[in-house]
Amino acid sequence: MNTNSNVYTVIYTTVVCVLVAAILALVSSSLKPKQDANEKAETISQILTAAQFGEKSEWQAKGNAAVLDFYKQNVAQAILIDGSGKKVGELSTADATVYGKSELKAQNYNVKDGKGMKLPVYIFKNGVSVVPVYGAGLWGPVWGYIALGSDLKTISGAYFDHESETPGLGGKIKDDPAFRAQFKGKSIDFNDKAAFSIVKGGAPAGKANAIDAISGATMTSRGLDEAINVWLGAYKAYLTKNPEE
Amino acid sequence: MNAKMKETILNPILKGNPITVLVLGICSSLAVTVELKGALVMALSVIVVCGMSSLICSLLRKTIPNRVRIIIQLVVVAMMVILVDQLLKSFEGTYPLDKQLSVYIGLIITNCIVMGRIEAFALGNKPIPSLLDGIANGVGYGLILIIVAFFRELFGSGTLFGIPVLSALGYTNNGLMILPPMALILIGCIIWVQRSIQKDLQEN
Repeated sequence: MNTNSNVYTVIYTTVVCVLVAAILALVSSSLKPKQDANEKAETISQILTAAQFGEKSEWQAKGNAAVLDFYKQNVAQAILIDGSGKKVGELSTADATVYGKSELKAQNYNVKDGKGMKLPVYIFKNGVSVVPVYGAGLWGPVWGYIALGSDLKTISGAYFDHESETPGLGGKIKDDPAFRAQFKGKSIDFNDKAAFSIVKGGAPAGKANAIDAISGATMTSRGLDEAINVWLGAYKAYLTKNPEE
Repeated sequence: MNAKMKETILNPILKGNPITVLVLGICSSLAVTVELKGALVMALSVIVVCGMSSLICSLLRKTIPNRVRIIIQLVVVAMMVILVDQLLKSFEGTYPLDKQLSVYIGLIITNCIVMGRIEAFALGNKPIPSLLDGIANGVGYGLILIIVAFFRELFGSGTLFGIPVLSALGYTNNGLMILPPMALILIGCIIWVQRSIQKDLQEN
């Protein structure tokens, strides 16, 4: 058979492409549920770490099931709010539904536009509320979760993740526990120029709503600073209203 | 096992190492060698992709139209890479690693070693030797990756597989080790050492 004829070449490439596409589609659709479950557990473990229920690495070691169980037992409610702080929906706590990176990305457009927002707040039984933030780092998106005490002002913890920041520099927002630990005990102040700031060269001593930036990662720090302020701005109405109302 | 088979397996690991002798696959070896864990997963992925793509291409070698052979090879390699990526994403244990490596796993497609071995070996040899050649080249690549990652993690972060070693002794991390240029320098050192031991690699 002449394997160099035009007809043979066209038929051969078509068959190979269709076959490969079919294999990949089959594999992808059969593995999708497992991948989604992994992603969801990852998101929840980040939220739990922010809310000071153990460390991310510990959750990873315990496995997905333990993460989901703990979340279901300890979350009081997960609500969705709009820009005016009104509750516009709810996420199922029985199914442990959370907003992952892709949902946050979608909401980020709404936050920028200032309308159509449906932002999640995870309220735990111990009074801690966790709100997500999302923005642009140096190489890709950065996002994370900030846990607030029952006064909705004091920060009790935070966790950040990124897609492609430089390991060892910008990657420290995720990998360096010391960076995260700075958030603990700080607070948000909407009367200040920026509700919260990450200061290059070191935060002024005694300033309650500022932390040190990461040296060697100016752009990542700046991106995270903006992500926090833009998103907290979107939550402002909710966070500043009287909790009794 | 005959001598030729032995040669097929040992050559890519020592005398014809894809990184230090053929100087292929440099880009990814700079990127994924910050930590041992990542380097290990990357090495295993390349071994699987390289071995399986060589096997498949070797099985197809008599039917592939000559004019489009590179594209067909590319399709086979891309399929294997996506399969590996999807599998890594699906298991609880490897999911965090895949997240960390995802860009580089995808870039195995462009790793010159894989295509190079298919073009140079698999298209002219029977399936079993091709499979072995692919795996051996993956091992040769992985070996260098792990050596480089060992030094970079040890002196850059003071840890090995995330366990504090030097940092427990009060060592101050060397930030340069974390950055890609240091990997290039380390690979240069490995090439230097290898060439001074294997004199036949030296040019006149």
